[in-house]
Formats: sequence, structure tokens, C-alpha cells
Amino acid sequence: MYQDWFKTIDLCRHYQRGQHVVRAVDRVDLAIDKGDFLAIVGSSGSGKSTMLNLLAGLDTPTSGKIEFEDTLLQSLSRRELAAYRAHKVGMVFQSFNLMPHLTALENVERALYFNHTPRRKRRQMAAEILEKLGLHDRVDHHPADLSGGEQQRVSIARALVKNPEVLFADEPTGNLDQGNSIQIADLLTDLNRKGLTVVMVTHDLELAGRYAARIVRMHYGQIIDNSLGETEPGATK
Amino acid sequence: MTFRDFVSISTGNLWRMKLRAFLTVSGVIIAIAAFVAMLSFGAGMQRNVSEQYEKLDLFNTMQVYPPRDAQPTDTMPPAILDARAVAAISDLPGVKLAYPFDDFDLTANISDTELSISAQALSVEAMNTKAYSHFAAGSAFESDCAKEAIVTEQFLHLLNIGKADSLIGDTLIISVSVASIDSGIVHIIPKMDSTLKERIKEIHFDSLIHAAYTKRIVRRELGNAMMRFLDGFLNAKAVLRDTLIIRGVMEGGQGGMMRIKPVIIPTATAERFSYGGMSDNPADLFAALQSGNLLGTGDEAGGRFYPKVTVNLDPNITYTSVRDSIKAMGFRTFSYAEQFAEMQKFFIYFDMGLGVIGLIALITASLGIVNTMVMSIIERRREIGILKSLGADERDIRLLFLAESGLIGFIGAVFGIIFGWVITRAASLVIKVIMEKQDIPEMDLFALPPWLILTALLFGLLVSLAAGFYPASRAARVDPVEALRTE
Repeated sequence: MYQDWFKTIDLCRHYQRGQHVVRAVDRVDLAIDKGDFLAIVGSSGSGKSTMLNLLAGLDTPTSGKIEFEDTLLQSLSRRELAAYRAHKVGMVFQSFNLMPHLTALENVERALYFNHTPRRKRRQMAAEILEKLGLHDRVDHHPADLSGGEQQRVSIARALVKNPEVLFADEPTGNLDQGNSIQIADLLTDLNRKGLTVVMVTHDLELAGRYAARIVRMHYGQIIDNSLGETEPGATK
Repeated sequence: MTFRDFVSISTGNLWRMKLRAFLTVSGVIIAIAAFVAMLSFGAGMQRNVSEQYEKLDLFNTMQVYPPRDAQPTDTMPPAILDARAVAAISDLPGVKLAYPFDDFDLTANISDTELSISAQALSVEAMNTKAYSHFAAGSAFESDCAKEAIVTEQFLHLLNIGKADSLIGDTLIISVSVASIDSGIVHIIPKMDSTLKERIKEIHFDSLIHAAYTKRIVRRELGNAMMRFLDGFLNAKAVLRDTLIIRGVMEGGQGGMMRIKPVIIPTATAERFSYGGMSDNPADLFAALQSGNLLGTGDEAGGRFYPKVTVNLDPNITYTSVRDSIKAMGFRTFSYAEQFAEMQKFFIYFDMGLGVIGLIALITASLGIVNTMVMSIIERRREIGILKSLGADERDIRLLFLAESGLIGFIGAVFGIIFGWVITRAASLVIKVIMEKQDIPEMDLFALPPWLILTALLFGLLVSLAAGFYPASRAARVDPVEALRTE
């Protein structure tokens, strides 16, 4: 077991916009334990999505450190960072980010192209995860033929199919109605209960409070509060 | 990602933007088709020449010519291409056969048609060489003294005869007007009743004591005598006739590589025509006078000068050694192998020229690929971002876009080659009809050798990959955070 399994130290992500410096993430220290369900909340522009992108290895910090399993992400080459995303990380987005020309099955299958999964196993694994998420009758549907909730479940299936160690969800319920939002949130909780570390970004404080074990509030790029939620990590709600 | 993954994803992406991909591929198809059609023409010409050389064994054939402006030196008499020279050339190591080009003009009568044409004498040995062994009908002479003739397809054309077989066994009456020494000598003496008296009257006998006057009179009289001799030699000709049976019809004719005359007669049979009289070319006459051969006082082995001697070489011996030996004898040589080497150089430049034109078309088409790919990146920024979030690295994205441009090039090249081939077939068909109308022997001017297919395929692929390189690098550099933010 790693101590401080996933942590950031004095993490900064600043942008230069004309003559102004935008401090999207500013001197953030954060530790995430394995199996945690962490919600990062904050208003628009608070830096929560930037924080998620940094943790997922999609963005590179201006300064500070991100350590995952004792590996400094900044020390990784771009190729190694891509491998980190391919093997360790699953990502879910507010707007689902499914490829519209591919079926649900193909969308999920595409995640396995980059982690050396043998060609013949990809389809089987994708079909299995879709079935687990209750989408066995939607495998051949294109995103346009699926509801918002179904699309997000396909998106989650795509993130989970490669068996990641941590799932980053950026406003996963942002585009969903209440019913679908609850279903997705329940699904994430269920996954967390099964041992998956979940880091969710949301502006919905109530949702975060109900489902996340720990809530981190961000404001202007800084953590202003780091408290426990209503739910214990891995606990049944 | 495996190669198969790249191909399958690229195929799917191209299929997604069918119209644009079709238009881009069409540009490549047209460019490759133009490239193939043009180089196919070059390759066809090269093949036809090469086949002709092989067919006539020209790679092992050399022509020997008398020297230009031969001047005797203190140590060496002028080289004369006569029977003795032919024998000397035949004896050179590496020479399989040397035979002279012995041609003369004759009048040929066949059925009711009379033709004034050229003929050549040829030995059976020479007839058996590849250059003379291609018959449309019949066969070669039985012997050098056979009363037979071979005619060429050109002869048939002159007679408006289509079928070569129809002439075999027909009678050919040939007649030749020959200038003779006798007729010249007879004319040296002027008519007694007028010319001599008038000339004697013109002489001032009292001035004969002056040497200059005497010389002038002698020169004038000798000059007049020479003029009368030439007049008699050139105009008072004897006519020789012979009746021959047409034994064979040879392919081709005077326009071919060997410049075969329309009628070929065995050497011994032709001797009285070609050798019975002097050449009526004044240049030959003066050459004969110079060498002392005119009245048979020259070397007995000589007698007739040949304009050309054909030499068949042993293929195992390099032609250069034979060429150098013949040149050392004072003759000029012409090697078909050297000519072919020169032609090959020409073909290389020719092909390069055509290739450059094709390449320009291909580069123009490649701009279409660049445009398509750049457009594709703009439209697929989000997709690139998604792929990167799923774990694709820059290399994966670069290869994915390169695979797409490569696929455009490959499909374009394959269909371009097919389209190019169709163009050459269509052009070939049109040319064939034109050739038939003009009685030109059928010939396919285009060829599609494997090297051309491979080159076109490679060019299509490489140019497309080069065209895709910039867009692919641009795609690889797409920032995933920015791309995923795009709505």
C-alpha cells in the first residue's frame, strides 16, 4: 500500500492571457487515498476542471508536484504520460465526449486501442462492461440514438473497460435530468464501493454532499475547504 | 495500436467523409493515371526498340563503313571496303560472319507490273542470321546461285498485294542497266567528219613551239576525251536480264533497322547485275580510277567497293575489341549495342521528363490531400482530444493521420494505375486504327511493366505521406484540454 497514494504538492497551473496571469490552480496541496470518493466542488472558473485535467495527466502544471504511486507525473515523458492515461486513468465528461460515428460498443472498444489489449479481446471486454452497466441492448446504437443517461453510462463504460485505478468524472451529471443524474451518481458510488477511486468534479454541492466521502471546495484556484461528506468511502448509502 | 488498427480506423474515417475523400482520391487517381500513361508510353517505346534489337540480333551486329575522305598516307594506303577487306574482317577473332551490303537498282517485272526498285545481293549464310530470318511467307534461298529471289513486305505494298503467300512461286523478271567501260572507250574517239577537222583547224601549228600552248592544247584534248568517255559510260548502258522465282516474303522492309531492300537475290545470281557493270555513280568511278581498279589493273581481290559491311559478332566476345580492330584497319564502325546504350540514356531522360510532368500532377493532387487533412483536423479536434484522454500519444495521432493520407495515396495509386492502364489501352486502340489505315505494322506503343506499377504505387504512397506529414504533426500537437473544451 502506498502512503499518500495520489497527492499534489504546491500545485500551480497558471495561464498567460494577454498581460494577465490566470491562476487556474494555485498552490494546491491535496492527498487522495486509494478507494476514496472525492468531490471537487466550486463555482465556474474556480479551477476544479483544471485540477482534474492535471490529475488525469491531460494538462501539465506550471509548478508544483503531482505524485501517483510514488511516481512524479512531471517526470514522465509525453509517451509515458499517455500510457498513464491509457492504463491507470478513466475519464468521464459532462458532455460525454462519445464519438458520434461509432456505436456504443465501438466507443467503448476504442479505449482499449491504447493499452495493448489484444484485438480479439477488445470487443468481448467492451460488450461485457456494457452489459454490466445495463446497456446490452444498446451496443449497436450510435450516441445520437441514446438518451443522455445512456450516453453517460456508455462514457463510464469506456472509462471502466480498461480497468483503471482512478476514475475522473468532470461534471458527470451536468447534462442530465434529475433521474438520470441520480442513476449516474449511484453508479459511481457503486463503483467506488467496489474499490475504484473516484474523483468527481461538480458544481452541485448537494450531489457532492450526498455521494462523495470527501469534499474539496475550490475558489479562484485554491482549496478553501477539505471536509468529509455524508458518505464514508466505500460505504453503502 | 497495430498497423491493422490504424488502417481500420483510417478507412472508417475516410468512409465517414465520403464525398471529400472521393474528390481527394480522384485527384490522386488522375495524377497517377497521367503518370502511368506517360511513363507507359516511354516504357512501350523502350520495349519495342529492345524487342526489335533482340529479334534482329542487333546487340551482336556491327556495321562497317569505308572511311570518310580517305587519304593515303606514307605508310598506309587508303582503306577500301572491298572483298579483301570483308575477308580480313571475317578473320578477326570474335567475328562470326561478315557480309557486304551489295545493292543495285533494277527493274522488276511481275505479272503485268513493272517496278523500278532497289535490290541487294545476300549469301545464304547471311540469310540465316536473325536479321534476315523473319519471313511472312516462304523461306530463304537454297543456295547462293539459285535463280530465286526474296521480296519484302514493302515490295508487296508496292504491288498492292495483301497476302504474302500469294507471291510464293511467282516469276520475277529483273533487268539492270549497267554502265560499261566499252561504251565509254567507244565515245573517246570523236566523229571524224566534223569534230576532228574542226579541232585541227583551231590549232595554230606555228605556236606549238611554245610549251605552254602545247600543254594547253593537250589538256583541252584530254579533257574532251574524258568528257566523251564519261558521256558514253553513263549513257550507253547494256541491259542484263534474269528470271527468278520468288521463294520467300520477308517481314518489314526498307524502313527497318537493317534497311533491307525490297528484293534480295542470292550473291552468285546477283553477281552479273551488281558486279557486271561499273557503278554509274561518278564518285565511284573516280574512286576506281584513283585506286587503279577501273580497268582491272588494280588488286585482283578487289574490284567492287561496298558501301557497308555487316558484321555478326560472337556474343561471348565484347564488341569493343572487334570494333577497335576494325577501326585499326581504317574503317568506320557503327555498333547497334552502342546505339542501344545511347538510346537507353535517351530513354532515361525521356522517362525522367515524363515522370516529372506526372510528379507535378501528383504534387498538385497532394495539395488536395493537405487541404483535406487540415480540414479534417479542424473538424476532428474534439475526437483528437478524446483519443488523447483515452491514452493516445502524439505518435498514435500522427500515425493515424498519416495512415489516412497514406490510404488516400494508396487507393488513388491503385485506381490511378488501373485508370492509367485503361487510358493506354484506349490510346493504343486509336493508334492501332490509325496505323492500320496507314499500313504501318501493328505495334503496341504502351507497356505497363511491373517496375512501373511499383513506381506508381510507391510515388502515390510517398507523395501522399509527405502531404499528410504536416497535418499529422499538427494533429499530434493538438492540446487535449483545449480540444475537449470545444463544444
